[in-house]
Amino acid sequence: MSPSRTTTFDLVSRWLIFGLLAVYTLYNIGPVFWLVLSSFKSRMDLFAMPPKLFFTPDFSGYQSVFGVGAAANSASSVGVFDSLVNSIIVSVSGTTLAVAFGTLAGYVCSRFNFIGKGDFMFFVLSTRMLPPVAVLVFYHLMFARLGLADTRFGLTLVSIFANVGLATWIMKGFFDGVPKEVEQIAIVNGYTRMYAFTRLVLPMVKGGIAATAGFCFIFAWNEFAFASILTTTQAKTLPVKISAASGATGLEWTQICAAGVVLIIPVLIFFYLIRKHLLMGMTFGVLGRR
Amino acid sequence: MSTQSHTARQAELKRQSSGRLMIFGFLSPTLAILLFMVAYPIFSLVYYSFFNFSALRQTTMKPIGLRNYEFLLSDPQLWERFVFTGKFVFICVTLQMLIGIFVGYQLQKNFKGRDIVFTALMMPMMLSPVVVGFLWRYMLNSEWGIVNFLLYSVGLPKVDWLGQANAALWAAAAADTWMWTPFIILLATAAFRGIPETIYEAAEVDGASPTYKFFRITLPMAAPVLFIALILRLIDSFKQYDLFVALTGGGPGTATETVSFAVAKTAFSYFYTGEASALAVILLVIIIGLSMILVRHLQKLGERY
Repeated sequence: MSPSRTTTFDLVSRWLIFGLLAVYTLYNIGPVFWLVLSSFKSRMDLFAMPPKLFFTPDFSGYQSVFGVGAAANSASSVGVFDSLVNSIIVSVSGTTLAVAFGTLAGYVCSRFNFIGKGDFMFFVLSTRMLPPVAVLVFYHLMFARLGLADTRFGLTLVSIFANVGLATWIMKGFFDGVPKEVEQIAIVNGYTRMYAFTRLVLPMVKGGIAATAGFCFIFAWNEFAFASILTTTQAKTLPVKISAASGATGLEWTQICAAGVVLIIPVLIFFYLIRKHLLMGMTFGVLGRR
Repeated sequence: MSTQSHTARQAELKRQSSGRLMIFGFLSPTLAILLFMVAYPIFSLVYYSFFNFSALRQTTMKPIGLRNYEFLLSDPQLWERFVFTGKFVFICVTLQMLIGIFVGYQLQKNFKGRDIVFTALMMPMMLSPVVVGFLWRYMLNSEWGIVNFLLYSVGLPKVDWLGQANAALWAAAAADTWMWTPFIILLATAAFRGIPETIYEAAEVDGASPTYKFFRITLPMAAPVLFIALILRLIDSFKQYDLFVALTGGGPGTATETVSFAVAKTAFSYFYTGEASALAVILLVIIIGLSMILVRHLQKLGERY
């Protein structure tokens, strides 16, 4: 059996593999293409049978998302622009604080041994696995009592809690990649641990902090369950607003599709920027460390 | 001599206490927010689960012991939800693992434009689950949806995807699989590329067939990473909520209500807060059990890589 001999079996299996890959690619890319296409369709074109591939683009969906033009003022508009602003404020402030806290905790978990470290690490990770609806049963009461319901501050608090566990684990992974000698040498030379951390170690994991921020932002940005239960009018984020978007004729699909496209754009940018660390973020800093 | 060792010991002590201060100071923000946002709510949930209690009438809390649990565990509707969730998890995880491993295996080789293909394939994973739900609901509409149009144009009958219990299960599975197969592809490709080339070369010298190589080298070597991927998908699809809110709204009837969906409905539509707490506790026990398996394997992997 020399490897150069191609049998009919080889040929058939090669074409089969190619065919299956093609089918998967269509399944994978098709809906994204359809989402983008539909976001430019007018209501007439959306419901056209057979579905239209070519049509005059209609920007009303985007206009209402960004709060400009005639569509924003029309009766059917749901004023999604405010929710876009809420989304930006909540996810940016939530991400910043989650990454700051996670960086500190991740450093300690990487460098020190302390009583209950294993339990702490498990507890931290388990918060990432929690089903949101379970804690929501209590948040619903707690937020009403503390006056946090329907506020950006309350949502930011949730956003920090939901991401700090992931941030801690990823940052621990990045700190593990920095040799311990860095601090040892600094301490031998009379510097404090704090100095070694802020002036030597932190600059070395700059890229890691950026990647962690990227991940936390993506999760905070797309979060739906918490925001949908804990907001009623003022603090609604864009994903929640989408789910409530309904006009006289039912769901306003053009707006939903446009909002979907607007939602994915920052995520795409972050994905591209952190592509090297994708694996690390998806496996809690365990894989893909270099 | 003795003074020297004395100062050295003092310095050592000082360093230790500054280390302790650092541990405490650096962990406290994370610990504080997690205690307030996780530990406190979970203890309260357990507490509430022993009461007949509604968020609407907060003044009357009647202690009823384990009656909430007794009621839930003997409620055939809850078992239906568990069965539905189980079916959904099984279909999703099986499809995602099979497709993900297959595509990941084909994509591990270097080829022109690999980065672009890869990024494009990751797109479904970047979308918000609620957008995914609406997108599929839009595409699966029985009258003007693109899916039925495509079926019709190749001569297949139209399907009322979201109007029948069984079809809705498969529709939800198709949407979840669409969204999360890229995640398995990402992990599988990384795992496959991490296998040293020399092992394959040695196998080739021994005349191993491609099938043999795949099942006896590739899969076993990648197994630890694939296992992590499997557990992560198990947990995530088990607690799936967002997708169902947007795609089916739990319908037709109550056919596509997952356990998470049931918790939300009991708590925020019926306001049976005590009962919802008990159900949330049951859900938490299952998820925490799965997480423990995950963490154990993550730590093992962390030591190896």
